[in-house]
Amino acid sequence: MKRKKSTKSELYNRNEKKRSKGVSQWNIAWRRFKKNKAALAGALIIGFVLFLAAFDALIAPYPPNDLPGFYQGETRVPPSTKYLFGTDYVGHDVFSQVVYGARSALYVGFGAAALAMSLAVLVGLVSGYYGGLVDNILMRITEIFLVIPFLLILLVFLKVITAVAPSGVGGLSIVAIMIGLFSWAPNARIIRGEVLRVKESEFIEASKSLGASKRRILFRHIFPNVLHTIIVLTTLMIATAILVEAAVSFLGFGDANAITWGQQLQKANEAVKEAWWEGVFPGLFITLLVLGFSLLGNGLRDALDPRLRE
Amino acid sequence: MSIIRYIIRRLIYLIPLFFGILIIVFVASRVAGDPVQLMTVQNPRITAEAKQNLREYYGLDQPLYYQFFIFLAQLFQGNLGNSYSLRGGTAVTTLIGDYAWLTFELQLSALFLSLLIAIPIGILSAKKQYSKLDMSVTTTSLIGTCIPVFYMGIIAIIIFGYFLGWFPAGGAHSILAERYPFGSYIIDELWHMVLPTAVLTFATLAPVVLLVRSSMLEVLRQDYILAARASGLSERTVIYKHALRNALIPVVTYIGLYFGSMLAGAPITETIFNWPGVGRLFVEATTKLDFPVIMGVTFFITIMTLIANLITDITYGYIDPRIRLE
Repeated sequence: MKRKKSTKSELYNRNEKKRSKGVSQWNIAWRRFKKNKAALAGALIIGFVLFLAAFDALIAPYPPNDLPGFYQGETRVPPSTKYLFGTDYVGHDVFSQVVYGARSALYVGFGAAALAMSLAVLVGLVSGYYGGLVDNILMRITEIFLVIPFLLILLVFLKVITAVAPSGVGGLSIVAIMIGLFSWAPNARIIRGEVLRVKESEFIEASKSLGASKRRILFRHIFPNVLHTIIVLTTLMIATAILVEAAVSFLGFGDANAITWGQQLQKANEAVKEAWWEGVFPGLFITLLVLGFSLLGNGLRDALDPRLRE
Repeated sequence: MSIIRYIIRRLIYLIPLFFGILIIVFVASRVAGDPVQLMTVQNPRITAEAKQNLREYYGLDQPLYYQFFIFLAQLFQGNLGNSYSLRGGTAVTTLIGDYAWLTFELQLSALFLSLLIAIPIGILSAKKQYSKLDMSVTTTSLIGTCIPVFYMGIIAIIIFGYFLGWFPAGGAHSILAERYPFGSYIIDELWHMVLPTAVLTFATLAPVVLLVRSSMLEVLRQDYILAARASGLSERTVIYKHALRNALIPVVTYIGLYFGSMLAGAPITETIFNWPGVGRLFVEATTKLDFPVIMGVTFFITIMTLIANLITDITYGYIDPRIRLE
């Protein structure tokens, strides 16, 4: 019994060693990523904000929308140990509100990026692979979305939807969906370009001559080879979506019931003269989070792009 | 001759784009149904008859496609309709005419200044790749692209508007004529422009610097640069005569895009600085669901973007003769 067991584990170990000799593409990417300090810093920032969002109720000293400053006659007091980032004009604890804002920012960032990238991948793959008339039509539509004054249309849609929707409908999901629907175009164009590049390579020719179906070629051969581009674009798209959401909320067209950093900035903008802390901290967090995703995106690009490998 | 044919080709190319955008804008303004219903949603006392009168007055009782053709027909006669709510129903063209100049003034000066600053910085940074200067330039630019422009604006207002009190924090003019510096209207306006222009310049600067730098690095790696260096040309000639022209091609293509996105971003910049341009007009109109103004401003900004793109294309063809022959 005992002997048998040991041989088994020996065999297993040998296999394990053999396996570790072959280094996968992802392993190589991870090794390069680890060396990139800026990218790690970006990941750290995102991790920090994720942590804030996950444990917001535990971290924030006051419940959401609570008015501790109001009850104690301490509205618009500067930062102190009691109110880490001060209080605003109605008595919200700015620090608590900033902590709760993390969840909204991430929600819209991930949601909008997921939608935008799904559309972009679909359009990019189909357009790049099938070419011809399909490509032509899809690219003309993409161009319209590239030139359209995206923020203006977004504001109109959001305003109209909140005007007709019964209360309770709408909110952050609508903001995320709208941002997603209007920001896929540049990414679709880049993905299409990548597909065109991969399509011309010899291994595609080889699998064609082996009789692989179009679908197989598209999903098993082309998609994995543009995946690194998609990952990088997704990361950067999250950053853009967070910026756009902040801008929309800043202009007062966001979800009025959610706690968002943009909205805090909007309120602060009305009183920058009296209370700098109302705006400085939420804005700092927007910048930090966007910077985090940008650094991560750039780091991923350097790590994943095989052409940049030295 | 070929350049004229090239321009005509680009113009024809823009027509479907133009109509596509018009349709999207029209759909955007009608997606939720009846504008009169939306406008009067907060007015419970309005009668059904009054609503019907409003609909007839604005031609909203007609079928949607008919409204769209009326809109198009009016558009080609230079008429964008009358505002529902602003200044007692002023023509939208008049409104835009009143506000457009201030928007252009701000956006164009910021664009011009940022190019003026960004190109030399980008070149310098590329020339000394991985030096301390390069590192600090790229880091600053990267952070610059991550700061929302309205946040930058708020910080600038807090520091320069209030703490230091150097520049006015908002508006395009002092309220009282007695407050005009040196008694001059123009100097007063310039004085008010300093903060918004500076913020907008910095916001545009960052991506352009990164673009110039990477495109310059790309060009400096080319064989013909090596050849130019090998033939003993001075570094100055190599960079400014041989490399720069090719390095600027991607930058030029982006100028049109930047200008478009700057114009579309006007609602944000103009809201922070309380700048009376089309962007603020748009925000005001959207809050009031004033559809003719919304359509008008969107249309106006789209046209400007398309023109900027056309100019970009032409410049592009001029800088890079290979493009024209396509």
